[in-house]
Amino acid sequence: MPLVPSLYNLAFWLSRNATDAEDLVQETFLKALRGFAAFEPGTNFRAWIFRILRNTYLTSVTGLAATRTVALEEELAGPDGAADAAYPEAAIDRQTPEMNLLVLSDRAALETAMEKLPAPLLEAILLCDVEEMKYREIATVLDIPIGTVMSRIARGRAALRSLLIPERTSMGVRR
Amino acid sequence: MSEHLSQVQLSALVDGELTRDQLALVQQHLAECASCTSKALAQSLLKASTKRAGLRYAPTGALEDRMAAIAKQHSPSSRRADQSDGGRLWLSLAAAAVMLLAVSIAGTALWGRHQSEPAIASANRAALETEMIDQHIATLAANSPPEVISSDRHTVKPWFQGKLPFSFNLPENLPADTKLEGADLTYIHGQPAAQLIYSIGKHRVSVFVTQRTDKTVAHGGPSDHAGFHMAGFNTRDLDAIAVSDVEPSRLWGLDDLIEQAQNGVASHPK
Repeated sequence: MPLVPSLYNLAFWLSRNATDAEDLVQETFLKALRGFAAFEPGTNFRAWIFRILRNTYLTSVTGLAATRTVALEEELAGPDGAADAAYPEAAIDRQTPEMNLLVLSDRAALETAMEKLPAPLLEAILLCDVEEMKYREIATVLDIPIGTVMSRIARGRAALRSLLIPERTSMGVRR
Repeated sequence: MSEHLSQVQLSALVDGELTRDQLALVQQHLAECASCTSKALAQSLLKASTKRAGLRYAPTGALEDRMAAIAKQHSPSSRRADQSDGGRLWLSLAAAAVMLLAVSIAGTALWGRHQSEPAIASANRAALETEMIDQHIATLAANSPPEVISSDRHTVKPWFQGKLPFSFNLPENLPADTKLEGADLTYIHGQPAAQLIYSIGKHRVSVFVTQRTDKTVAHGGPSDHAGFHMAGFNTRDLDAIAVSDVEPSRLWGLDDLIEQAQNGVASHPK
């Protein structure tokens, strides 16, 4: 069925277990059927159904538990509000480019790093890189301004780099 | 631009989200700054690696069965017998979309009678764009594959013979990540049309080709509509409009190649 693999993949990343991911996808489809009248023809169907999935997650037991531990936008941004503040990367430049490229290509290490990302950063990264959504679509799915989408993606990638090359940075990822 | 690129700029660069002006400035800086060039390359690699690593979980067969059962429960019994259970949910959604579309088009047409000529043309254009976008969305959502599935233009083009009152050419050469997926026979504004389905990366593109008539609604050049990009061209006999959410420059590139094919110009991907 179309979109099921994509919805399930995101659901699993968010809920972190197969049972909850399956429940999320099933609930999303039921809501999509019941609420199809709310879908506006001419708008983005994929963004619409991903938004239902994401909202379903946020109101689920796992989602509610996660939101209680998720950092606020300001905390994610760092003390001065700059997008790069929480995840400095200046030290990374001291490594050789070859080493950086090797580390960034390590799939197992990257999967582990992604598991450590705060949910708001991870979901933005997944929608952008895996689902290849445009910033405008991601803003629709996550119900946030495009500027916030941009900063979350930038911070998410900086965080991944910091996690992949931990010895080169002085600050870890804050949860 | 003398300052180094920020994380946000680097991300927007690899995500294809910079405007033309922003891209020109960034490229100018990259040409002079080895540090930012290195970061941009690393960012691009990280994006590619994240895409691979992010595709980690696949649904089980049991989930697919459950979803099919749900779809069956919610599907009217009059659905075509040859549709799979899974397809019924999407057909149901698509049918609802078509009904809403019909109402909106009827409303637009009624309203248009009382407007001036430019307003009527504008309303017709909007209706045309909405109709094409909805057909494109239905293609994305539908479980049924295109009526003709082939990446071979020599298969796709002849398939329309006898089905359309016109003919068209398809480009021979396409960029590396662009592929002809197939085609459907469809109707736009009540006129038969060819819906050519391409993929650019993971993005789908629908190109609607219709016969040029006195009643043809002119498409006003590249535009954005409901989150989708549109680009089109006209020849003496044909009208074509491409719809997708892919990066606009990629859509324009494909549109140009198809236009060149109509004019007998050998296509050369940019």
